[in-house]
Amino acid sequence: MKKKTFLLLLGCLLFIGLAGCSKGPATDTSITSPLKSELIIGYEKDTETLDTFKTSWFSDSLIYVYDRLISRDYDFDYKPSLATRWETSEDGMVWTFYLKDGVTFHDGTPLSSADVAWTLNRIIDPEIAAPIAADYSSIREVIAKDPLTVEVHLNHPYANLPFVLSSTSAGIVSEKSYTEKGNTYGISALNGTGPFKFVEWKQGDRIVLEKNDAYEWGPDWMENGGKPQIDRIVMRIIPEENTRMMEIEAGNVHVLRDVPATFKDQLSKNENIKLFSGDATKLVYLAYATDKTPFNDIKVRKAINHAINRAEIVDYLMRKAATVADGYLPPALKSEYFADSSALSYDYDPESSKALLKEAGFPEGFTTTLAAENTSQFTKLAETLQHQLKEVGIDAKINMYDTASYADMLKSGKQDMFIRLYSWPNADILDYLLLSSQFPYPNHSRWNDSTTDDLIKSAASSSTWEERSKGYHKVQKHLIEQAVWAPIYIPEMTIAVRNEVKNFKFHPWIPQFNDNLTLE
Amino acid sequence: MIRFITKRLLLMAPILLGSTLFIFVILRVAPGDPVDRIVGPNVTKEVYENIRINHGLDKSIAEQYVVFLKNLSKGDLGNSILQRRPVIQVVKERIGITLKIGSAALLLSFLLAIPIGTFAAIYPGKPLDYLLMTFSMIGISMPTFWFASLLLYFLSYRFRLFPISGYETWQHYILPVVALGMTDAATSARMVRSSMLEVLGLDYIRTARAKGVSEKTIIFVHALKNALQPIITLLGMKIGWLFGGSAIVEIVFSIPGIGLLLVDSIFARDYPVVQGTMLILVVFIMIGNLLADVIHAIVDPRITFD
Repeated sequence: MKKKTFLLLLGCLLFIGLAGCSKGPATDTSITSPLKSELIIGYEKDTETLDTFKTSWFSDSLIYVYDRLISRDYDFDYKPSLATRWETSEDGMVWTFYLKDGVTFHDGTPLSSADVAWTLNRIIDPEIAAPIAADYSSIREVIAKDPLTVEVHLNHPYANLPFVLSSTSAGIVSEKSYTEKGNTYGISALNGTGPFKFVEWKQGDRIVLEKNDAYEWGPDWMENGGKPQIDRIVMRIIPEENTRMMEIEAGNVHVLRDVPATFKDQLSKNENIKLFSGDATKLVYLAYATDKTPFNDIKVRKAINHAINRAEIVDYLMRKAATVADGYLPPALKSEYFADSSALSYDYDPESSKALLKEAGFPEGFTTTLAAENTSQFTKLAETLQHQLKEVGIDAKINMYDTASYADMLKSGKQDMFIRLYSWPNADILDYLLLSSQFPYPNHSRWNDSTTDDLIKSAASSSTWEERSKGYHKVQKHLIEQAVWAPIYIPEMTIAVRNEVKNFKFHPWIPQFNDNLTLE
Repeated sequence: MIRFITKRLLLMAPILLGSTLFIFVILRVAPGDPVDRIVGPNVTKEVYENIRINHGLDKSIAEQYVVFLKNLSKGDLGNSILQRRPVIQVVKERIGITLKIGSAALLLSFLLAIPIGTFAAIYPGKPLDYLLMTFSMIGISMPTFWFASLLLYFLSYRFRLFPISGYETWQHYILPVVALGMTDAATSARMVRSSMLEVLGLDYIRTARAKGVSEKTIIFVHALKNALQPIITLLGMKIGWLFGGSAIVEIVFSIPGIGLLLVDSIFARDYPVVQGTMLILVVFIMIGNLLADVIHAIVDPRITFD
């Protein structure tokens, strides 16, 4: 009896164990032996949903599955996409878009202006509570005038509409498919007009797309506006960064998005891999609660700016995989960026810093806290800043938080000094982070200034892009003068690409894998 | 036996209720808000509040718990806040992979631990004992994360003997199972050794030796069966380890199992997924312990079902 029980137990374990070693159900083994025309891309994180109406954080896959009315070319300029052209009414309140003819969804149904109107109206519908709705708050209503004409009616003149309509969330969804698929849409089904069709999403593992053979309506700025040269895209989720590096070096992954600075040296020595870099539309900055003593004193804020040696941080901490930040926006935003930021920014000058602290009534400096998220990048940055601030007499105790606890701490207003990163390709990030109406969160630096409010509101409601850019230049100038933050660096966006991938071109936002890219 | 099992199953209900309450409260008291992972910096207060209302996060913790229990009584673990789909579905997709790795690792652990522990106990204080126990001590001291990374670096990356990450073929499972199984075998081997040493010193073994029974029969027929009883107890407790331990190898080898899901969900404060996963984990541990008790009672006649 005892022997039998023991054997039974062992047998059960053996069975389960062997089952564990059997082949997984109906999975494609091509990952381990990539097809020539299957591009495998490594990502750190998976997305939570592919339904654009239900999130603010979008998977790259949506760029390829959907088309938008407007696209952004390699110079980051706005260009026609599904809309061949558009015009604005004299008062700037109505934008009329003329759609391309002959465009079809992946299920073969033709794209009509009704789908465009439905997609955009659904985002702004308060009942839907789309997390991205705030981006579209300037839109009052979208009307399908005729099958190929769409009118976007605004609440106020809004020169930034091309940004909104070219963003990932503005991908045109098939109303019919969305309604038919119900809750499975965005999980096991997607229907767009983009160059790649959705095949499957194994959550936490991969998203698979295949080329849309019918595609012939790519934007003019692409060399190949027709169907993609590669057959499939497999987006693999590999959370551990060491594992991601090994996979590309071993040739199991063709492209890595966002290579960490610490791995740049290692990958640049590999002759099978090329690195493509450009300034990201991101900013890393040191902020402080400007409504609290001593940070409510402009002299203290300027002293902090003078105390930070940004060049040292970029050279040694970031290993030159970043550029020194002078202003409040990244230069990659081109016309929106205030070009005089560099001339007006605060040089590293510990003596001036000490003098300003003395003037502010802190001849011996002061004690404070410095908060940051507990990633390795920000832990090192916090330690470096702590050391640099100590040089001028500011004694900062470091407090590290996980992402969720950090947001909670900032909301509750417990912060003194803290490190932040934003990633946003538009000047309106300043609205979200610095308008007094955004107090206390996401206006986590607790900046409550009527001049900033007026300058931002005036810029945001401009009717032309040029006017808007000039308006935001004034905003940035004012913020530098007020030393609201201490900008530190703009991280580089580095993409690693294996040599088998041909015709890869760096795009400041998201790689365009359908543009003539081939695999050897 | 049926009475015993029924009694134990009934006892599970309050334990389960208590653990759900504990997990529920701890999660909500911890700083952080799941809605922050859905919305961007540009969200309006109205949209933010609407999302909170849609997920019932505007209600008090007590009210939320009552809703959770009501749904649970219908077999509904709620919907993931981030993924916007039933937790049951999310967990179902992930649990199979973890069970495969965990059970294969458990099997490997026992297959290694039993002979290592036995041989060390047969030759106590001899070089073989020292050698085996030194290896065991190294195994205990070495974190699974580090051991898994070493295996990955040398066997997959340097010598290209195994795939680096993923879970498509049986070859993908070898290193995660070895990483998890071998570090656990180190602990279990020490337990087998001490249990075996205790049994070998008992009177009935001395009697067997005096009767002239061969040493081989004494060890493998008379001693081993009794020495393995602590291992059965261990088996019940190991079920929890299946989940926890596999989270580490799942991260290193990029395997989308339930361990990785739990870690991600905790960081994202996806309350329903954490609750659902933990609840399933508690059920597994309780069933594991019940099974261990039942097997104990069957194997050892001195233990009764009363």
